[in-house]
Amino acid sequence: MHASLCDLITDLVQNSFEADATEITLNIEETEKNLNVIIADNGKGMSAETLEKAKDPFYSDGLKHQHRKVGLGLPFLFQTAETTGGTARIESEENVGTTISLNLDPSNVDLPMFGNFATAAVTLMTYGFNGNLAIKHSVNGKSYEVSKNELAEALGDLNDLESLTLLKQFIASQEEELGTL
Amino acid sequence: MAKMTLEQLRELRDSKKMEMTQRDGEEKAARIVIGMGTCGIAAGAKEAFDAFLDELNSHAVKDTRITQTGCMGLCFSEPTVEVIVPGMPRVIYGNVDGKVARRIVREHIIEKSLVSDHIFDKPAADIIK
Ligand SMILES: Nc1ncnc2c1ncn2[C@@H]1O[C@H](COP(=O)(O)OP(=O)(O)OP(=O)(O)O)[C@@H](O)[C@H]1O
Ligand SMILES: [Mg+2]
Repeated sequence: MHASLCDLITDLVQNSFEADATEITLNIEETEKNLNVIIADNGKGMSAETLEKAKDPFYSDGLKHQHRKVGLGLPFLFQTAETTGGTARIESEENVGTTISLNLDPSNVDLPMFGNFATAAVTLMTYGFNGNLAIKHSVNGKSYEVSKNELAEALGDLNDLESLTLLKQFIASQEEELGTL
Repeated sequence: MAKMTLEQLRELRDSKKMEMTQRDGEEKAARIVIGMGTCGIAAGAKEAFDAFLDELNSHAVKDTRITQTGCMGLCFSEPTVEVIVPGMPRVIYGNVDGKVARRIVREHIIEKSLVSDHIFDKPAADIIK
Protein backbone atom coordinates (compact mmCIF):
# COMPACT_ATOMS: atom_id res chain seq x y z
CA MET A 1 0.00 0.00 0.00
CA HIS A 2 1.08 3.62 0.10
CA ALA A 3 4.49 4.24 1.50
CA SER A 4 4.01 7.89 2.32
CA LEU A 5 1.45 10.48 3.38
CA CYS A 6 2.18 12.39 0.16
CA ASP A 7 1.01 9.38 -1.83
CA LEU A 8 -2.19 9.26 0.20
CA ILE A 9 -2.74 12.98 -0.35
CA THR A 10 -2.15 12.55 -4.09
CA ASP A 11 -4.73 9.80 -4.16
CA LEU A 12 -7.33 11.90 -2.36
CA VAL A 13 -6.80 14.91 -4.64
CA GLN A 14 -7.11 12.59 -7.64
CA ASN A 15 -10.50 11.51 -6.28
CA SER A 16 -11.49 15.18 -6.52
CA PHE A 17 -10.26 15.31 -10.15
CA GLU A 18 -12.30 12.20 -10.87
CA ALA A 19 -15.37 13.79 -9.25
CA ASP A 20 -15.16 16.53 -11.93
CA ALA A 21 -14.37 19.25 -9.43
CA THR A 22 -13.46 22.65 -10.89
CA GLU A 23 -12.11 24.13 -7.64
CA ILE A 24 -9.97 22.08 -5.30
CA THR A 25 -8.04 23.28 -2.29
CA LEU A 26 -5.35 21.30 -0.54
CA ASN A 27 -4.29 22.68 2.79
CA ILE A 28 -1.49 21.10 4.80
CA GLU A 29 -0.67 22.52 8.17
CA GLU A 30 2.16 21.09 10.19
CA THR A 31 3.19 21.98 13.70
CA GLU A 32 5.18 19.99 16.24
CA LYS A 33 1.95 18.66 17.75
CA ASN A 34 -0.31 18.39 14.77
CA LEU A 35 -0.41 17.39 11.14
CA ASN A 36 -3.57 18.63 9.55
CA VAL A 37 -4.62 17.95 5.96
CA ILE A 38 -7.79 19.35 4.44
CA ILE A 39 -8.88 18.65 0.88
CA ALA A 40 -12.03 20.40 -0.31
CA ASP A 41 -13.63 20.14 -3.73
CA ASN A 42 -16.78 21.26 -5.50
CA GLY A 43 -17.16 18.01 -7.41
CA LYS A 44 -20.10 15.68 -7.72
CA GLY A 45 -20.06 14.67 -4.06
CA MET A 46 -21.45 11.51 -2.56
CA SER A 47 -24.81 10.51 -1.19
CA ALA A 48 -24.83 9.26 2.41
CA GLU A 49 -25.19 5.77 1.06
CA THR A 50 -22.23 6.03 -1.35
CA LEU A 51 -20.12 7.58 1.37
CA GLU A 52 -20.84 4.68 3.70
CA LYS A 53 -19.85 2.24 0.96
CA ALA A 54 -16.78 4.22 -0.01
CA LYS A 55 -15.28 3.68 3.44
CA ASP A 56 -15.27 -0.02 2.70
CA PRO A 57 -12.05 -1.23 1.07
CA PHE A 58 -14.10 -3.53 -1.08
CA TYR A 59 -15.90 -0.68 -2.77
CA SER A 60 -14.97 1.32 -5.83
CA ASP A 61 -17.64 2.79 -8.08
CA GLY A 62 -16.98 0.01 -10.57
CA LEU A 63 -16.33 2.44 -13.43
CA LYS A 64 -12.63 2.90 -13.02
CA HIS A 65 -11.13 -0.48 -12.48
CA GLN A 66 -12.82 -3.14 -14.50
CA HIS A 67 -10.35 -5.65 -13.20
CA ARG A 68 -10.65 -4.58 -9.59
CA LYS A 69 -13.68 -3.52 -7.61
CA VAL A 70 -11.56 -2.32 -4.75
CA GLY A 71 -10.85 1.31 -4.01
CA LEU A 72 -7.79 2.09 -1.99
CA GLY A 73 -7.87 5.83 -1.41
CA LEU A 74 -10.49 6.25 1.32
CA PRO A 75 -9.80 2.97 3.15
CA PHE A 76 -6.14 3.93 3.44
CA LEU A 77 -7.17 7.32 4.77
CA PHE A 78 -9.16 5.73 7.59
CA GLN A 79 -6.59 3.05 8.20
CA THR A 80 -3.86 5.65 8.61
CA ALA A 81 -5.94 7.59 11.11
CA GLU A 82 -6.98 4.51 13.06
CA THR A 83 -3.58 2.92 13.40
CA THR A 84 -1.94 6.14 14.56
CA GLY A 85 -4.59 7.52 16.92
CA GLY A 86 -5.56 10.31 14.55
CA THR A 87 -8.89 11.28 13.06
CA ALA A 88 -10.23 11.31 9.52
CA ARG A 89 -13.50 12.91 8.50
CA ILE A 90 -15.40 13.14 5.25
CA GLU A 91 -18.22 15.56 4.66
CA SER A 92 -19.91 15.27 1.34
CA GLU A 93 -23.05 16.46 -0.32
CA GLU A 94 -24.25 15.34 -3.71
CA ASN A 95 -23.70 17.94 -6.45
CA VAL A 96 -22.08 20.29 -3.95
CA GLY A 97 -18.73 18.79 -3.08
CA THR A 98 -16.61 16.92 -0.63
CA THR A 99 -14.32 17.95 2.20
CA ILE A 100 -11.86 15.53 3.71
CA SER A 101 -9.95 16.33 6.86
CA LEU A 102 -7.18 14.33 8.36
CA ASN A 103 -5.67 15.09 11.72
CA LEU A 104 -2.57 13.21 12.76
CA ASP A 105 -0.03 13.15 15.55
CA PRO A 106 3.34 13.74 13.87
CA SER A 107 5.20 12.04 16.70
CA ASN A 108 3.31 8.74 16.41
CA VAL A 109 5.79 5.98 15.57
CA ASP A 110 3.35 4.19 13.29
CA LEU A 111 2.87 7.20 11.05
CA PRO A 112 4.04 6.59 7.46
CA MET A 113 6.81 8.94 6.40
CA PHE A 114 5.68 12.23 4.92
CA GLY A 115 7.40 11.78 1.55
CA ASN A 116 8.49 14.25 -1.08
CA PHE A 117 5.85 16.95 -1.30
CA ALA A 118 7.57 18.88 -4.11
CA THR A 119 7.17 15.97 -6.53
CA ALA A 120 3.63 15.30 -5.32
CA ALA A 121 2.69 18.95 -5.89
CA VAL A 122 4.24 19.03 -9.38
CA THR A 123 2.44 15.87 -10.45
CA LEU A 124 -0.89 17.15 -9.07
CA MET A 125 -0.51 20.55 -10.74
CA THR A 126 0.25 18.91 -14.09
CA TYR A 127 -2.19 16.02 -13.91
CA GLY A 128 -4.18 17.50 -16.75
CA PHE A 129 -7.59 18.19 -15.26
CA ASN A 130 -9.54 21.25 -16.28
CA GLY A 131 -10.20 22.96 -12.97
CA ASN A 132 -8.09 24.91 -10.53
CA LEU A 133 -6.08 23.47 -7.66
CA ALA A 134 -4.87 25.75 -4.88
CA ILE A 135 -2.25 24.42 -2.50
CA LYS A 136 -1.31 25.90 0.84
CA HIS A 137 1.46 24.36 2.89
CA SER A 138 2.46 25.67 6.25
CA VAL A 139 5.06 24.42 8.68
CA ASN A 140 5.34 25.89 12.15
CA GLY A 141 3.76 29.17 11.09
CA LYS A 142 5.70 29.68 7.85
CA SER A 143 3.68 29.09 4.71
CA TYR A 144 3.26 29.47 0.98
CA GLU A 145 0.29 29.31 -1.34
CA VAL A 146 0.21 28.52 -5.03
CA SER A 147 -2.56 27.80 -7.50
CA LYS A 148 -2.64 25.99 -10.80
CA ASN A 149 -4.27 28.97 -12.50
CA GLU A 150 -1.45 31.34 -11.59
CA LEU A 151 1.18 28.78 -12.57
CA ALA A 152 -0.46 28.27 -15.96
CA GLU A 153 -0.60 32.02 -16.37
CA ALA A 154 3.15 32.29 -15.73
CA LEU A 155 4.30 29.18 -17.57
CA GLY A 156 1.79 28.50 -20.35
CA ASP A 157 1.67 24.81 -21.20
CA LEU A 158 2.44 23.17 -17.86
CA ASN A 159 3.33 19.80 -19.36
CA ASP A 160 6.31 20.58 -21.51
CA LEU A 161 9.72 19.80 -20.11
CA GLU A 162 10.76 23.42 -19.54
CA SER A 163 7.59 24.19 -17.58
CA LEU A 164 7.82 21.01 -15.54
CA THR A 165 11.43 21.73 -14.71
CA LEU A 166 10.77 25.35 -13.72
CA LEU A 167 7.67 24.34 -11.78
CA LYS A 168 9.64 21.80 -9.80
CA GLN A 169 12.32 24.40 -9.02
CA PHE A 170 9.61 26.83 -8.00
CA ILE A 171 7.89 24.43 -5.59
CA ALA A 172 11.23 23.18 -4.27
CA SER A 173 12.26 26.76 -3.48
CA GLN A 174 9.03 27.27 -1.52
CA GLU A 175 9.49 24.00 0.34
CA GLU A 176 13.09 24.87 1.10
CA GLU A 177 11.89 28.07 2.71
CA LEU A 178 9.65 25.98 4.96
CA GLY A 179 12.63 23.85 5.89
CA THR A 180 11.16 20.60 4.56
CA LEU A 181 13.88 19.89 1.98
CA MET B 1 18.02 28.47 -3.65
CA ALA B 2 16.14 31.61 -2.69
CA LYS B 3 12.37 31.53 -2.63
CA MET B 4 11.18 32.14 -6.17
CA THR B 5 8.31 34.51 -6.98
CA LEU B 6 5.72 34.01 -9.71
CA GLU B 7 7.22 37.04 -11.44
CA GLN B 8 10.64 35.36 -11.54
CA LEU B 9 9.02 32.18 -12.77
CA ARG B 10 7.41 34.09 -15.64
CA GLU B 11 10.70 35.76 -16.56
CA LEU B 12 12.57 32.47 -16.57
CA ARG B 13 9.92 30.98 -18.76
CA ASP B 14 10.05 33.89 -21.19
CA SER B 15 13.83 33.69 -21.54
CA LYS B 16 13.55 29.95 -22.24
CA LYS B 17 10.85 30.62 -24.82
CA MET B 18 13.17 32.91 -26.77
CA GLU B 19 15.71 30.09 -27.09
CA MET B 20 12.92 27.84 -28.28
CA THR B 21 11.41 29.94 -31.04
CA GLN B 22 13.74 28.83 -33.81
CA ARG B 23 12.54 25.28 -33.29
CA ASP B 24 8.90 26.25 -33.68
CA GLY B 25 6.95 24.13 -36.09
CA GLU B 26 9.18 21.14 -35.55
CA GLU B 27 7.57 18.09 -34.08
CA LYS B 28 8.10 17.31 -30.40
CA ALA B 29 10.91 14.86 -29.81
CA ALA B 30 8.76 12.76 -27.56
CA ARG B 31 5.58 12.44 -25.57
CA ILE B 32 5.64 10.50 -22.33
CA VAL B 33 2.46 9.46 -20.54
CA ILE B 34 2.91 8.18 -17.00
CA GLY B 35 0.24 6.09 -15.28
CA MET B 36 -0.30 7.94 -11.99
CA GLY B 37 -3.23 5.99 -10.60
CA THR B 38 -3.19 4.52 -7.11
CA CYS B 39 -1.38 1.41 -8.26
CA GLY B 40 1.15 3.34 -10.30
CA ILE B 41 1.94 5.66 -7.42
CA ALA B 42 2.24 2.83 -4.93
CA ALA B 43 4.63 1.12 -7.34
CA GLY B 44 6.88 4.17 -7.69
CA ALA B 45 5.49 6.25 -10.57
CA LYS B 46 6.67 9.45 -8.87
CA GLU B 47 10.25 8.19 -8.81
CA ALA B 48 9.91 7.44 -12.52
CA PHE B 49 8.53 10.96 -13.08
CA ASP B 50 11.51 12.54 -11.28
CA ALA B 51 13.96 10.32 -13.17
CA PHE B 52 12.44 11.29 -16.55
CA LEU B 53 12.70 14.99 -15.71
CA ASP B 54 16.27 14.64 -14.55
CA GLU B 55 17.52 12.47 -17.42
CA LEU B 56 15.79 14.54 -20.13
CA ASN B 57 17.34 17.69 -18.70
CA SER B 58 20.79 16.22 -18.35
CA HIS B 59 20.74 15.23 -22.04
CA ALA B 60 19.11 18.52 -23.00
CA VAL B 61 16.22 16.75 -24.76
CA LYS B 62 14.09 19.84 -24.52
CA ASP B 63 11.06 19.43 -26.72
CA THR B 64 9.29 16.76 -24.75
CA ARG B 65 5.89 16.67 -23.08
CA ILE B 66 5.17 14.61 -20.00
CA THR B 67 1.55 14.01 -19.14
CA GLN B 68 -0.17 11.73 -16.68
CA THR B 69 -3.08 9.43 -16.77
CA GLY B 70 -4.94 7.48 -14.12
CA CYS B 71 -4.96 3.73 -13.87
CA MET B 72 -4.05 2.13 -17.22
CA GLY B 73 -5.61 -1.11 -16.07
CA LEU B 74 -2.25 -2.84 -15.95
CA CYS B 75 -1.78 -2.72 -12.19
CA PHE B 76 0.36 -5.82 -12.09
CA SER B 77 3.11 -4.18 -14.14
CA GLU B 78 2.95 -0.65 -12.73
CA PRO B 79 4.46 1.84 -13.08
CA THR B 80 3.44 1.86 -16.73
CA VAL B 81 4.57 4.51 -19.17
CA GLU B 82 3.57 5.16 -22.77
CA VAL B 83 6.23 6.63 -25.02
CA ILE B 84 5.41 8.28 -28.34
CA VAL B 85 8.31 9.33 -30.56
CA PRO B 86 7.55 10.49 -34.12
CA GLY B 87 8.54 7.84 -36.62
CA MET B 88 8.60 5.07 -34.01
CA PRO B 89 5.93 2.66 -32.83
CA ARG B 90 3.96 3.75 -29.75
CA VAL B 91 5.10 1.64 -26.90
CA ILE B 92 3.81 0.94 -23.41
CA TYR B 93 6.54 0.03 -20.98
CA GLY B 94 5.87 -1.81 -17.72
CA ASN B 95 7.67 -1.87 -14.36
CA VAL B 96 9.29 1.48 -15.06
CA ASP B 97 11.37 2.42 -12.04
CA GLY B 98 13.87 5.29 -12.03
CA LYS B 99 16.54 3.21 -13.74
CA VAL B 100 14.26 2.06 -16.54
CA ALA B 101 13.01 5.64 -16.98
CA ARG B 102 16.58 6.77 -17.57
CA ARG B 103 17.12 3.94 -20.06
CA ILE B 104 13.97 4.94 -21.94
CA VAL B 105 15.34 8.46 -22.34
CA ARG B 106 18.77 7.31 -23.51
CA GLU B 107 17.81 4.30 -25.63
CA HIS B 108 14.29 5.00 -26.91
CA ILE B 109 14.15 8.79 -27.12
CA ILE B 110 17.76 9.62 -27.94
CA GLU B 111 19.09 6.52 -29.72
CA LYS B 112 15.69 5.55 -31.16
CA SER B 113 15.90 1.92 -30.17
CA LEU B 114 13.28 0.19 -28.04
CA VAL B 115 13.97 -0.94 -24.47
CA SER B 116 12.82 -4.43 -25.41
CA ASP B 117 12.99 -6.09 -22.01
CA HIS B 118 10.39 -3.69 -20.58
CA ILE B 119 7.92 -3.46 -23.44
CA PHE B 120 4.47 -4.21 -22.18
CA ASP B 121 2.59 -3.61 -25.37
CA LYS B 122 3.25 -2.51 -28.91
CA PRO B 123 0.18 -2.02 -31.10
CA ALA B 124 0.14 -3.50 -34.59
CA ALA B 125 1.75 -1.27 -37.20
CA ASP B 126 -1.52 -0.53 -39.01
CA ILE B 127 -3.06 1.25 -36.02
CA ILE B 128 -0.07 3.51 -35.56
CA LYS B 129 -0.76 6.89 -37.03
N1 LIG C 1 -13.87 13.68 -3.58
C1 LIG C 1 -14.81 12.79 -3.96
N2 LIG C 1 -15.95 13.20 -4.58
C2 LIG C 1 -16.90 12.30 -4.97
N3 LIG C 1 -16.79 10.97 -4.81
C3 LIG C 1 -15.68 10.48 -4.21
C4 LIG C 1 -14.63 11.36 -3.75
N4 LIG C 1 -13.67 10.61 -3.16
C5 LIG C 1 -14.09 9.32 -3.28
N5 LIG C 1 -15.29 9.23 -3.89
C6 LIG C 1 -16.06 7.99 -4.17
O1 LIG C 1 -15.57 6.97 -3.32
C7 LIG C 1 -15.13 5.83 -4.08
C8 LIG C 1 -13.93 5.22 -3.40
O2 LIG C 1 -12.79 6.07 -3.51
P1 LIG C 1 -11.34 5.43 -3.39
O3 LIG C 1 -10.30 6.48 -3.61
O4 LIG C 1 -11.27 4.68 -2.11
O5 LIG C 1 -11.31 4.37 -4.58
P2 LIG C 1 -11.29 4.67 -6.16
O6 LIG C 1 -10.97 6.12 -6.42
O7 LIG C 1 -12.56 4.16 -6.75
O8 LIG C 1 -10.10 3.75 -6.63
P3 LIG C 1 -8.51 4.01 -6.41
O9 LIG C 1 -8.33 5.27 -5.62
O10 LIG C 1 -8.03 2.82 -5.67
O11 LIG C 1 -7.93 4.09 -7.77
C9 LIG C 1 -14.86 6.40 -5.48
O12 LIG C 1 -15.01 5.40 -6.46
C10 LIG C 1 -15.91 7.49 -5.60
O13 LIG C 1 -17.15 6.96 -6.00
MG1 LIG D 1 -9.26 7.06 -5.46
